[in-house]
Amino acid sequence: MTTIVRAELLRLLRRRTIVILGLASLAFAVVATLTVFSSAQASSGAPSRRSRASLDALARHGGGTQAFAIGASFVGFFVFVVFIALLASEFSAGTFRALLLRDPHRLRVIVGKLVGILVVAAAALAFAEAASFVISLVLAPSRDIATGPWFSLAGLGAGLRDYGTVLAGVTGWAIFGTTLAVVFRSVPLALGVGFAWAGPFENIVVDSWSGGYRYFPGQVLTSLIRGGPRS
Amino acid sequence: MGAMTTPALSVAGLTKRYGARTAVDGLDIEVPARVVAGFVGPNGAGKTTTMAMLLGLVRPTAGTGTVLGHPISHPAAYLGRVGALIESPAFYPSLSGAENLRVFATVGRHDPSTIPGLFDQVGLGERGDDRYRSYSLGMKQRLGIAAALLGDPDLLILDEPSNGLDPQGVREMRALISALASTGRTVLVSSHDLSELEQVCDWLVLIDTGRSLYQGPTRQLLDSVTAGLAVVPERLGDRPVLRDLLMAAGHRVQVDDDRLVVDVAGADLVALAASINRAAFAAGLVLVELNPLRTTLEDRYLSMVGSGNGVAR
Repeated sequence: MTTIVRAELLRLLRRRTIVILGLASLAFAVVATLTVFSSAQASSGAPSRRSRASLDALARHGGGTQAFAIGASFVGFFVFVVFIALLASEFSAGTFRALLLRDPHRLRVIVGKLVGILVVAAAALAFAEAASFVISLVLAPSRDIATGPWFSLAGLGAGLRDYGTVLAGVTGWAIFGTTLAVVFRSVPLALGVGFAWAGPFENIVVDSWSGGYRYFPGQVLTSLIRGGPRS
Repeated sequence: MGAMTTPALSVAGLTKRYGARTAVDGLDIEVPARVVAGFVGPNGAGKTTTMAMLLGLVRPTAGTGTVLGHPISHPAAYLGRVGALIESPAFYPSLSGAENLRVFATVGRHDPSTIPGLFDQVGLGERGDDRYRSYSLGMKQRLGIAAALLGDPDLLILDEPSNGLDPQGVREMRALISALASTGRTVLVSSHDLSELEQVCDWLVLIDTGRSLYQGPTRQLLDSVTAGLAVVPERLGDRPVLRDLLMAAGHRVQVDDDRLVVDVAGADLVALAASINRAAFAAGLVLVELNPLRTTLEDRYLSMVGSGNGVAR
């Protein structure tokens, strides 16, 4: 499988892709951090990725990556769409078949491609988190937030925990998207079904059956990436 | 390269059904090593499905087969020695030709240092760094051939490699296939351009509705039927006289434009031609043409699939 992963990285890690991905990650970090810091309220409360950050929460040890964690809670569906598009296009364009001419193990090729793209996504997330941390450092004085706790061991742990949570959520969405891409093998069809399922269908069902939060992939992954189910 | 005695590929009773439709129906074929084998059949005959089964892309419903001595149920055992272009070339549009080949070389564990040489071999020369999406159809086909050549395979399976090419491109593709064959590898190539196959292939496999109609040397198929002996007198006005002369000698004669076509009906061609020439000379007629009409592959193909009369010009 390593050859498939290497080939996928070879395909993705080109200067143009890296620049675009870097700029997108930076833009995400800027927008997320600016939004969180500008909307942070003085009122205290339990820190959560589900709600607006409080100034109190930003001043805690996890404050440096709080903006990243809150912002990333909205990227799940984007990741879902990207993975559907990337994988389903391999089927419709025939490149998946061309790969099978060199490695006939379908599952290995699919998993290898998934892992390869996830490696790039993980790097982009790491860059976005680091960028968000730096931007948070720049913005902190403007909101009278002390940044000392951010550099503690607990701060490092919080940062790693935020990164792990987001990466786990992204991985889940990626697997969900890849599954739809493999099943439908067509970008428009897989996207249509994905939108319909993870969008209206799950939410409509969950509105009348609260237990759906625990079973529907879109609900579970949204809860995971946000750090808990919506209230 | 594989041993001479082992066929490059063989299948027995190969069958593929899609629901009620049978795409390949108990196909038995064998292609010797180191030949250029043409794979001929009408649309829907099962050529691409057969090739896909040989390459492990499609699982047979029934039947067995080997490729380079390995069973087709284990394509991983032989795919490293097989290069293929199935249907249309499939590459990543945003990558250059060379980047695409590097990706596929990585997956196949092939040496990427051979890529520049492959570009030269298929005539893409300096275009390797151009994006695939900017390639013409002919260039895409060439890149497909280059990808198939990664790893210097013993067997090449090419499905319609000339598809969509202009006449110049077809000629160049034909030359390329001939050049590839001259290196001692086996080539299985399907094409609708029968004149192209006739020129390139020394072995033919004809199929229709998923079944084998013929397999064997190309010459054997074409020599098995001679459509007639064309006889043309020097003066057009002598044609009725010549016709009467030939008919009086017991030959069946047809008038075909400005020539007479004598039915050979299994006769010794050389003896027949000599006797006609002698009779004409004795009657004071000068012949400017005395020529056996060979059946072309297209004629044989059409006659075998039931759409032609098998007579050539």
